[in-house]
Amino acid sequence: MIEQFKQWYDKRHVYAREWKERNGGKIVGFFCTYAPEEIFYAFDVLPVRVLGSHEPQDVTEPHIFGMFCPFCRDVLAQGLKGRYDYLDGIMIAQSCLHLRQAFTSWEIHKNPGWSYFLPMPNHVQSKRAIPFLKEEYKLLIEKLEELTGKKITDDDLRRGIKIMNRARQVMKDIYEFRKREAPPITGAESMYMTCAQFFTHATEFAEVAEKVLVELETRKLDRDPGKRIMLVGSENDDIEYINMIEHLGEQESVGCTLVVEDHCTTTRYFWDLVDESIDDPLDAIATRYVNRTACPTKDWPQRTRLKRILELAKDFNVDGAIIVQQKFCDPHETDIPFIRKFLEENDIPTYFLEFDVTVPAGPFAIRTEAFLEQLGMEDDLF
Amino acid sequence: MTDETKKEEFWRWTEANWKNPDMKLEDLKIITAGIDVGSVSSQAVIVGDGQIFAYGNMRTGSDSPESARNALNYALKDTGLHEDRIDYCIGTGYGRVNVPMADRSITEIACHARGANFIYGPEVRTVLDVGGQDCKAIRCDGRGKVTNFLMNDKCAAGTGRGMEVFADLLSVPITEVGDRSFDIKEEPAPVSSTCVVYAKTEATGLLRSGWEVNEVLAAYCSAMAERIYSLIERIGVQEKFAITGGMAKNKGVINRLMKIMGLEAMKTQWDTQIAGAAGAALFAHTLVERGKGRK
Repeated sequence: MIEQFKQWYDKRHVYAREWKERNGGKIVGFFCTYAPEEIFYAFDVLPVRVLGSHEPQDVTEPHIFGMFCPFCRDVLAQGLKGRYDYLDGIMIAQSCLHLRQAFTSWEIHKNPGWSYFLPMPNHVQSKRAIPFLKEEYKLLIEKLEELTGKKITDDDLRRGIKIMNRARQVMKDIYEFRKREAPPITGAESMYMTCAQFFTHATEFAEVAEKVLVELETRKLDRDPGKRIMLVGSENDDIEYINMIEHLGEQESVGCTLVVEDHCTTTRYFWDLVDESIDDPLDAIATRYVNRTACPTKDWPQRTRLKRILELAKDFNVDGAIIVQQKFCDPHETDIPFIRKFLEENDIPTYFLEFDVTVPAGPFAIRTEAFLEQLGMEDDLF
Repeated sequence: MTDETKKEEFWRWTEANWKNPDMKLEDLKIITAGIDVGSVSSQAVIVGDGQIFAYGNMRTGSDSPESARNALNYALKDTGLHEDRIDYCIGTGYGRVNVPMADRSITEIACHARGANFIYGPEVRTVLDVGGQDCKAIRCDGRGKVTNFLMNDKCAAGTGRGMEVFADLLSVPITEVGDRSFDIKEEPAPVSSTCVVYAKTEATGLLRSGWEVNEVLAAYCSAMAERIYSLIERIGVQEKFAITGGMAKNKGVINRLMKIMGLEAMKTQWDTQIAGAAGAALFAHTLVERGKGRK
């Protein structure tokens, strides 16, 4: 069952095209996890996230600065190469300028006919953030009415909330299994799952994920879990890297399992549910996106994310954290010294790696392995 | 012979093997080996009862298992020791998983810290290892256990291989680069790039505009020292400070680096290139001593 998610991840475009054929519905590509997918589901529009493909490319140079992060360039490359040409629209919720430039460039050169910039407030810690966002959602709804020719009701929004919450809850339940001493699911498998959420209808995703949940009860992996590792940092779906570190134990004397992450491709995306007890659904959605685990572009003046990261580290009993950053991702770069200091003060050793579209396997293997040794070098050796 | 093969190999550094004259093979109880297959050089160190008994240090070939074999044979040469007598062997370095005779592998980061602890003494707290294609700054405790480390990212500028290319370009034997880089009237500004490709362009330009070869060497050594310093600066130096790897032998770079850092590096009689293999052999010794050796 779990293989399904890898298939969805690998064949994301095949899924989307087939979905469209099956349902005749519209698909909107979103650029950042601050997009309120609930509202899209209320319109029966399928929201899919645009992620990169981790392949070297040569199409973005004329459009985007070389010192912008590799992720935003990889994302734009997907658009310029026409890989998302089935989209009926694209949208971004304000997060960082690099990704916004990718969006704007896509809008100029590959506009599918509908595009929308949602001014998601940066100052989410302001009391005015929720009412502001709610008003912005009303404008988004008007724009979606243009796209679909439909009107929606509060009940439609509540339906959208339920669709998203169901998928979020099942992912949280899956993560409970990763807390086990010998997790029945690897970090790479889990990453396929969390990322498959971006490319599939949340209901279809949840149906399969709920079956996996049952499977995990009795599933046993024939591997030594080794050190328990957490990944923290910017956008990351570099499953090849995760696979590589989780296989180190087969050849080397130290191994590891990725047990939890703080990434916008994983927990920052799904960890927080919409509070269904809030009467007004737009209020409920706005509250969720304002209060969710923040991206560093929005996590100031207080760094609220530190608390969440530590909670996860403790709940999942991690031995060490690898802090990863997309090259040139300034918001994360600003947070990293604080995160490292904070984790180290709480007795969680950290190591830093800078990611690019592709990562150098040899040097990253040595560095990760040396970090694992540092975490668990047997005292027998000294 | 064609002109090409007759060409002098200025990059070639001195390969060496050594046997400890104060140790007798028949007295040894535990014999272990560490083999460090690096990107440019390979070493094998034989440790007898916790002391270095013999070593071999040579260039890495195109095949990791063969390089490991050659380094071990070179270390064993004329020692009377047969490979079968080795109780435990640890592979390290870039080719660590391709050392056929190794019982296990440990990264060169851990091994260099352990090796430096032995060849420089337990006071060492920061180890700089400048190898063939990478540069590591390692912090360690009094047992030689790594507490933190950094490695150069993406590009191998400022490492041993870059210096080899440069020695060839200027037709200066690599072992003379250090001395000659100080045989100058005035210290020049560093070349602006340590990128081997660009540095060649820059050096060629400098020579054409009338610079002496020694001045160009000084400018390149200085640029390398600055690049290495930027890595050390990120990890922070705690004394005492020791340098391992081939570059430790190049005083053109190292003396300039120490001047920037404003401190003195520790000194050793040992070949600095063997630190990784020595660390591996010492780890192996400890394992055997504690009954955790070969089953």
